[in-house]
Amino acid sequence: MDPSEVEFLAERELVKVIPNFTHDKIYLISGDVGPFSAGLPLPVPLWLAVNLKQRQKCRFVAPDWMDIDVLKEKKQEEADSRFFTPMPSPHYMEITQLLLQWGTDDIPKADEIRTLVKDIWDLRIAKLRSSIDVFVKSGESHAKLNYLTLMEINTVRLFLTKALNHMHQLKSVTSRDTTNSNSQAF
Amino acid sequence: MAANFTLDSNPDSYFSLDDILASQEKVPCTFNTQVSNMGYMDQSTTDTNIVSGTKLELPFWLAKSLDRGSRSIINIDTPKNYKEVYRQIFTADPNVVDLHKLGPYFYLFGGKLISLHLPDNDDIASVLLKTFQGRFRRIMDGSQNTLNVDLTSQVSLLDEQERLLFSAGQQGLHDFQKWETRESEKLSTSTMVANHRKRKRFVLSSKSS
Amino acid sequence: MLAEKALDLIRELKRTSGGTLPPFNEDKIRQVLEEVQTLFEQNRDTAKYAAEGQHDVLAAIQLRHAGIQRNKRCLLAYLYNRLENIRRMRWEFGSVLPADVKYNMCEHEVQWFNQYNRLLANYMRSIGESGGLDLTQDMKPPKSLYVLVRCLMDHGEFETQDGTVILLKKNSQHYLMRSECEHLIRQGVLEHIVQ
Repeated sequence: MDPSEVEFLAERELVKVIPNFTHDKIYLISGDVGPFSAGLPLPVPLWLAVNLKQRQKCRFVAPDWMDIDVLKEKKQEEADSRFFTPMPSPHYMEITQLLLQWGTDDIPKADEIRTLVKDIWDLRIAKLRSSIDVFVKSGESHAKLNYLTLMEINTVRLFLTKALNHMHQLKSVTSRDTTNSNSQAF
Repeated sequence: MAANFTLDSNPDSYFSLDDILASQEKVPCTFNTQVSNMGYMDQSTTDTNIVSGTKLELPFWLAKSLDRGSRSIINIDTPKNYKEVYRQIFTADPNVVDLHKLGPYFYLFGGKLISLHLPDNDDIASVLLKTFQGRFRRIMDGSQNTLNVDLTSQVSLLDEQERLLFSAGQQGLHDFQKWETRESEKLSTSTMVANHRKRKRFVLSSKSS
Repeated sequence: MLAEKALDLIRELKRTSGGTLPPFNEDKIRQVLEEVQTLFEQNRDTAKYAAEGQHDVLAAIQLRHAGIQRNKRCLLAYLYNRLENIRRMRWEFGSVLPADVKYNMCEHEVQWFNQYNRLLANYMRSIGESGGLDLTQDMKPPKSLYVLVRCLMDHGEFETQDGTVILLKKNSQHYLMRSECEHLIRQGVLEHIVQ
């Protein structure tokens, strides 16, 4: 998957916005949105939030977790834990990316938030790489990792599947039976 | 994107270029029988026939197709790079070994050797796996390095399959970075078109100079 | 050595980088086929001695037969990998290939490309509600209906869906429907400008 496809999936997540217009409920294939009344916050899909913002029709409301103290605590928890900790949103990276791209003025301390989220991401990716190495060295054929998000999995997908495939080939050589080995004779 | 012809990277495929090249690697063979009229395969002699006892390095595919166990017309020996001496080097410090020079299809060819039932089969099989496990972290970390670092010296030591793995890792990182900098929003010229243009420009400029 | 020439064909493809197609190597293919023919005739002519139990002849037959099989695999892999490359080019270059690429294709490859083109066009016409669905479009999730583009080269006149004719002149900028100009961007005629 391309990261832009992961982002497309993330755009279905609901975020809160404060519209500056009033409008009846709109009926979309993915569900109903609205009604909109000027000044009153309401949840809308992320893609719609970005679209409204681009046309200066709304302000973003930062999600509860998009807060310096919450994120600092989260970062500490992630650093202290050997395992992956649950994230406040399965699409935390994409939501941060889009809200901060279009609404730095609506999100308090946007730059610090950007840095904290990136720190958490880096911690998790480093952890992911170490787990993969341990896994490959152990020679096991399966492992279970909890709380990884789609974007995180996606960055190692191509590499990991290729590596495991290669391991599998090497192992099937070891475990034989070689009489019907799959290698071509000619 | 891997600028290579090998779309079908599954090395089991009959059409796989890598598999064909890997099966061309040589194995030392000794003939048990005379083979009439095939003397031209042995460039060290002018005999019309291959005489019994002749030692020849044959490509794997040929050795494999002549291998009939005890009634075989040839005896096959373990290739030098997979013998005990080398196996010890691989296990001692897998990261410093230049597998491209010793390969370049170290794993693929090694896997094929197993099907020849050589006496040291088990040892070869285990050294293949151990070598890869030992080298894995370096390959992964190297491929996840920032893109502007020169990696040619590291890549030059990798076997062909390791190189594919390495570029898969780089691809993942590259795609993510393009997303992070919002570059992936931009529609771009397809890779093939861009390569084709570059090449054409190169041909034109080398013609005019 | 047996089947050396056939291996040259494989090495030739392995060296080729994306976006190019080496000339169809008719000469080499003919040489490989001649080798196969020779090996086959030798085997046919000596088969009766092998049947009489001459072991050295039997061994030679085995060797030559392996050579025939190897040559066959290399030839088929050569043709197959070229076709795969040509198929991929349909998705990257579009339905018209650059002249130099076409020039390097053999007659059968040109035919194959035309048929693949037609097949793909028919299929795309048959799916979707009305007028079909262009599968070569929206390779990434589209972000907006219209995009700003700059011409990288003179491309002549271009008629938009609403009938307006615009002139795609080098360095000129236009605001076009994404669906109309995505192909031109992929082919390197236009550059997408992200604001």
